[in-house]
Amino acid sequence: MRADRLLGRAGKTVALAAIALWSLGPILMVVSASFRPDREIFDPGQHSFTFTLVNYAHLVSEWPQFFRGLSNSALVTAGAALLATFASALAGYAYSRLRRRWMAASAAAMVFIRLIPPIVLTLPLFPIINRLHLADTHLVLILLYATFFVSLGTVVMRTFFDQIPREMDEAAVVDGASAWQVIRLIVAPLAAQGMVAVAIFVVVFAWNEYLFAFIFTANNAKTAPLVLAEMTGAIDGVEWGVLFAATTLHLIPVLAFVILAQRKLVDGLTAGATKG
Amino acid sequence: MLLGVRGAGVLLTPSWLLLGLVIVLPAAYVFWLSFEQSSFGQAPRFVGLANYVTILNDPYFWRALRNTVVVVLAVVMIEIVLGLGIAVLFAAGIPARPIWLAVMLAPYAVSEVAAVVMWRFLLDPETGPLTHLLAPLGLALDWAVVPSHGLALAGILSVWLHLPFTFVILYAARLALPGQIYEAARVDGASALQQFRLLTLPLLRPAILVAMLFRTITGFRLFSEVWLTTQGGPARSTEVAAIYLYLEGFRYDSFGVAAATGWMMVLAAFLVSLLYVRRLYKDMADAG
Repeated sequence: MRADRLLGRAGKTVALAAIALWSLGPILMVVSASFRPDREIFDPGQHSFTFTLVNYAHLVSEWPQFFRGLSNSALVTAGAALLATFASALAGYAYSRLRRRWMAASAAAMVFIRLIPPIVLTLPLFPIINRLHLADTHLVLILLYATFFVSLGTVVMRTFFDQIPREMDEAAVVDGASAWQVIRLIVAPLAAQGMVAVAIFVVVFAWNEYLFAFIFTANNAKTAPLVLAEMTGAIDGVEWGVLFAATTLHLIPVLAFVILAQRKLVDGLTAGATKG
Repeated sequence: MLLGVRGAGVLLTPSWLLLGLVIVLPAAYVFWLSFEQSSFGQAPRFVGLANYVTILNDPYFWRALRNTVVVVLAVVMIEIVLGLGIAVLFAAGIPARPIWLAVMLAPYAVSEVAAVVMWRFLLDPETGPLTHLLAPLGLALDWAVVPSHGLALAGILSVWLHLPFTFVILYAARLALPGQIYEAARVDGASALQQFRLLTLPLLRPAILVAMLFRTITGFRLFSEVWLTTQGGPARSTEVAAIYLYLEGFRYDSFGVAAATGWMMVLAAFLVSLLYVRRLYKDMADAG
């Protein structure tokens, strides 16, 4: 029995170590290598660690477009998160409060149409977006990214609104509030936690997205993942140190955001809407 | 009634406007395009099923489809097995669980491009640290040259990026199972293995099904992991469906063929999902 338990504990430790190595290993490797000189990155026998910012200095001088990419990414991400959260909150409220058969059908349709692979939609969208002179604009990416999270966002928001008792909004109406006032003053503050949850999904997606950015931007609205891909594409002369510095800058904000927001999210969900 | 039909209509407008303009109308247009011969900047011409005949006679299409199915099946299986194992491990009680959850979720925050940077470096055929470790075992991947190795790299990237999602679905389902049934099983003298086989596995079937369905459908969209490593090469040998579609539509300028490919992708994902569902229902019927 005792040997059994000891063996179990050893097994658990090994499993957890493997999980850490698998999940964090590649991330930590990139982050730590970004602060090392090239000769150390490439020498497998080299165990010393010389701290240097030379890779970041090279990134700034050789790839100014990467920083433009970061600011484009930030703009597109913020726009998509706001739009998707706003649209999902409104739709989620409607689906939560008005129960009709056609409402249920339209909610199901919303989820069902997401089965279409995004790449299929690039074919018809490409000529249309060109015709409208929207190619290579931030607006196109904001609209695309927001749309692809409206379905999930609406489901999340509806679940959230279902937890808020209807009597609360009805009482406000009895007191003479308009529907818009009910939404703005009573429902929105309570739904804020749900909106944070939706925003997290959109932020992670929009910050990281590659396919749409690859097809619909060229210069002006080029996002950070595209510039990163360009740096990897320089196949004969990949400067790994510089690439790692760029990857680290691209990676850290959203990683930190996920860890921070995760906590807030869990707190919000456990505290419940009644606390306000 | 606080919210009337008109009010609901107003609230639904932004969402459905976006979905309609970005997904529904373009999807209908693609369906129409798949029966047309069309290239960018040219007036389309109706050709019936000719585009479908073209792709069904194109060996590159079949290779791309086969590559996609093989990679997706392998990736989904590996994710389910690992996700289930880790969910059981976490549920059994580990120290500092919130921290381990964050560790498990970390790759979810990483972009496809950043993951490609990491794994391309680790598995670089000449200088990669992992290559140096694996080479003596005969496991090094010559992914830029050997097609199956290239697809294996795409598979590793997919698993790494999507395991957090699969794990969360299975872990949430495992936590939702009542603790009493495990207590009862322990009282009856069931071993850990018996508990897993007779309780956890059958009770988690619906969650496993959901995770498999979802990952199969999203898995068929596989693009960046291949595009950013082998670009479908060498000699189009590692193409997957989405890359075939992209090349046909944007490089070889045949929108009609690409559109037909798009609908074949939808159909293939649907068929594979159907196989899973049938298999799982049969398992459940046999078990019950």
